[in-house]
This record gives sequence, C-alpha cells and structure tokens, in this order.
Amino acid sequence: MDHPIVAEGLVRRFGDLVAVDGVDLHVARGEIFGFLGPNGAGKSTTVRMLTTLLSLSAGSATVAGYDVEREPHIVRRVIGVALQEAAIDPIMTGRELLKLQSVLHGIKGRVASDRGDELLERVGLTAAADRRVGTYSGGMKRRLDLALSLVHEPEVLFLDEPTTGLDPTSRQALWEEVRRLNDEFGTTVLLTTQYLEEADQLAGRIAIIDGGVIVREGEPDQLKSEVGSPTLRLDIDPSRHDEARAILSQYGESRPARSERVAIGLEGGAARVAEVVRSLDETSIEVTHMELDAPSLDDVFAEATGRRLEGAAETGAG
Amino acid sequence: MHGTGVASWIAHAGVMARRSVRGVVRQPQLWAPSLVFPLFFCAVSAAAFGRTTNLPGFPEVDSFLTFLVPATIMQGVMFGATSAGTEQAIDMENGFNDRLLAAPVARVPLLLGRLGGIMVLSVVQTLLFTAVLVIAGASFAGGVAGLVAMVAVSALMGAAVGAFSMAIALKTGSVEAVNGFFPIFFALVFLSSAFFPPELSGGWFESVASVNPVTWMIDGTRDLVVQGWSLQAAFRAVGVAASLLVLFLSLALRALRSSLRS
Repeated sequence: MDHPIVAEGLVRRFGDLVAVDGVDLHVARGEIFGFLGPNGAGKSTTVRMLTTLLSLSAGSATVAGYDVEREPHIVRRVIGVALQEAAIDPIMTGRELLKLQSVLHGIKGRVASDRGDELLERVGLTAAADRRVGTYSGGMKRRLDLALSLVHEPEVLFLDEPTTGLDPTSRQALWEEVRRLNDEFGTTVLLTTQYLEEADQLAGRIAIIDGGVIVREGEPDQLKSEVGSPTLRLDIDPSRHDEARAILSQYGESRPARSERVAIGLEGGAARVAEVVRSLDETSIEVTHMELDAPSLDDVFAEATGRRLEGAAETGAG
Repeated sequence: MHGTGVASWIAHAGVMARRSVRGVVRQPQLWAPSLVFPLFFCAVSAAAFGRTTNLPGFPEVDSFLTFLVPATIMQGVMFGATSAGTEQAIDMENGFNDRLLAAPVARVPLLLGRLGGIMVLSVVQTLLFTAVLVIAGASFAGGVAGLVAMVAVSALMGAAVGAFSMAIALKTGSVEAVNGFFPIFFALVFLSSAFFPPELSGGWFESVASVNPVTWMIDGTRDLVVQGWSLQAAFRAVGVAASLLVLFLSLALRALRSSLRS
C-alpha cells in the first residue's frame, strides 16, 4: 500500500451547493502533498471528509488503507489533524492539552508525559508549556496545534491552512518543522494552503483546486514549465540589439522588453542560460545585466482558472 | 481497541470531565452569578412573602425560608448548568470540537465527560446553599441521608440541564442560541411548586405546575427538607432528575450524530 491517501470521485453537497465536485487524489507514502486554492475552493471540505469529520455525498476515500466511511474509528487512530485556525481551548495550558490529546489516543501516564515533553521541546514550547493557551501568539498556537496532532505518531498528517494569518518568521518555522517530520519519520502530509509560496516551498506535488474541481496536478516545477518558458531579459548596448536578437532567436522567440533590453522566452528552461551567455560572449556582445523570470504557480493558477490567486480577496471559509 | 472498550470509555469520559471541571474553576464568570442570584431571590422572597405560610391550606412548614430551600438549590443548579452548552458551542466555534471528533474516541464519553464540571458545580452549590440557608434559620429535617439525596438530585438535574444545553449547542453551534434557551429553565422553576404551593393558587397555574416535572422533583426534595428522610421522597426526586438526564442526553447524542452528517 504505497498510497496512504486515495480519493475517488469525492463529492460533497451542502443543499444545492456543490462544494467538492468529483475530486480524485492519490498521495504517495512519504510525500508532502499541497492542496492549493483560493478560499471556498473546497480544500477544507475535502480535508474534513478525509478526516472523518464530514460524510461523503458521493465517491469513496481511503486513508492508510481504511475506508473513511466504513472504518472511521480506525482512520482516526492513524491520522494527525491540525485544522484551520489552530483549534485549541484557550483556558488550558499547552501541557494539559497534550495530556488530554494523549489520553484520547489511548496513551497513558509516564509515556504520555514523556511524549508531551518531547513534543513541546520539538516545537519550541517548553518554556510556555504551563501557560494558558490564551496567552500564546498565533505562531505558538499553530506549533502547539501541530504538536497535538503528533502525540500518537500518526502515519498521515492533515494540515489545513497551517500558516494562514502567521507572520513570515513563524511561517518559516512551521515549514521547517513539517519538513523535519517528513524527513525523519517519513510522515505523509496533506496540506491545504492558499499561499503559492507555501505550496512551492513545501510540497513535492500539488493539486490546484478551484470551484470544487482539481484543475491542475503535478510537481510544482513541472506545472510551471507546462505554462510556458521562462522569460530571459538581457541588458545590452542598444547599438548591438539587432545582432543579439539574431543570436537569441535560436533559443526562443522574442518577447516585449524595455528599450535597453532584449527579451526572449527561453526554451528548455533555466538550464540553457549559460549557453545563451556563451554565444553572446563569442560575438563579444556584452551583457551588463540579466534577469530570468520563471513562471510562478500563480501563472499556473491563472492559466487554469483565468484568475490570479496572489492577493485575491479573502472571502469566507475555504 | 478503538475507543469503544469500557476502559477507554472511562478514560475518555474522565479526561473530558477533568477538562470540564478545570474550565469551571478557571472561569468564575460562568458560575459566580449562579451562587449569588438564587440566594438573593431567596432572601427577597422570604422577606416579602414570609407570611404566606399562614394561609389556610399552606403545607405544614416551620418557615417560608425552609419552604424555599429546594427552590433556591434548583435555581442555582439550572443557572450554572447551561455552561456545558456554552462550552460545547465555544468548542464548535473555535474548532476544538473537531479535534476531539477526529480522535479515536466514542461519542458518548465525550458528552458525558463534558457534564463533569456541571456536576461538581451543582454539588458545591447544593452544599453551600444548604449551609447558608440553615445558618439563616431554615431547617433541614432530612439529615445526612436527606442531604446526600439532595446532592444526587442536584448533580443529576445539573447534568440534565447541561445535556439539554449541549443538545442546543450541537444543533445550532452557537453560543447565543444556548444562552437564548436559558430562560426556559428559569420559567420551568417559576411554573412549578418551587415558590408557592400550586394547590393554593388553583386555576391554570395549578394545572401547569402539576404536570411540570420540576414540581415533582421539588416536591420530593421538599419532603426531605421539611418532613425528614424518606426513601419514597428521595426516589421520586432522584427518579425525575435521572429520567430528565436520560431524555436530554439522548437528545444531545442525536444532535451530535446528525451534526456529523450535516
């Protein structure tokens, strides 16, 4: 069983609204899978179905080989769940919550408290362990939330928008922690996000979801290269632009650029930059400045949906 | 073992109860009013209507204050008990409830555990109110056995009201809705024999009060307070409270089950 998360034709309706409309997922063991989409795209609804919190309107799904509808109690034993907005009780302390979570997972006494200490250490909350969660910062809450989802060493971890609303430093720290978990224990991670950078940085493979439908799926680099070639912009003395264009035409078609620049869509991607520079150098054309703009996941999103994700207005829950 | 064995039921209900007790202890704003207002009402009623005991046909009792002991305790218990629903709704609003539901835990112990804080609060209220009222001059004829029965009725009744408020919370997911239903129990106490013997009022009040379960319960506990220990009175009061608990708990469980499918 090398796909701990499998979903086929997943559908969820709320009355007339179809929140998730036939989602297929195959997440491989040890993979960090990113589920990228704007608010309301169906990310959280999908995660809630996979984590047994919501019934399926149609389709089927297995997590760690167990059917989420027929064997939800077994699924709950093998998954770790950190849902949107750090779902934790503010009047308890970090240590108390870890203890509670351990008991719910059947871990008791000494083992539970050792495990709690270890997790607090791991997410850097040892000093704050006996403070009430209400006094924690947003980043600390998320880290505690992550620790809570790990008490039973889950095989599969679901993180629903783990860094939404966090500052860049806290976001980095959380990414670091997720990577470390994935490296050390081979934990399979499904993470939803509306941040392009997060998907790009963290996920080995991503699915872009919009309107309840997966519109693109693959490795981030592969998806980006499918959108088109990166744009190479070169600052060259204008008197030699014609010569330069002649040479550059063999590397890709010309693209619009400011007057002092020449730009092409570099076919074959970034690997060919050196080649370009060498051929220009051979004809002693001097390049004073160079820029290579790879297509971003936002370009992928735009190509798939006709809209931009970056800076999209936040509307409603995902 | 997947959270359905008896041992894990007990462990899960226990850990939830501990959390619920902590929640009560750490949030005095939830229960402080329930200690103050019933005693205030009791003092006002005793002062204003103290002489109603002289009415012909008023049940045999040494003072109106003694007559009010069960009413004061039940009022306090109902005042405090909706916090179970409030806590449930808060957990649903902030998502903590999902964290609990995503754990390998049977649903019944989750509900039962949440009633722990309420039950502890109800016991404390009962002991405190009894002590205050006895010091103020009320008598308590039931003795230790009567007090134990009174405590049991309070704990069960607190849990029952708590279960009802949790059912509302699970149905609506809203703290406001839970608070909105709160006056129902207040009304039930006023529409019972708590403050006045219905048989003396006659009319619609007597009809309503005589079918109000709160009346049956109050009458049982009042017999313990006024006349002394009797197994029959204790059974009546405990039986009504326990039946209400079973009824409301099954409502809450149904609400929980349907909330999982919505």
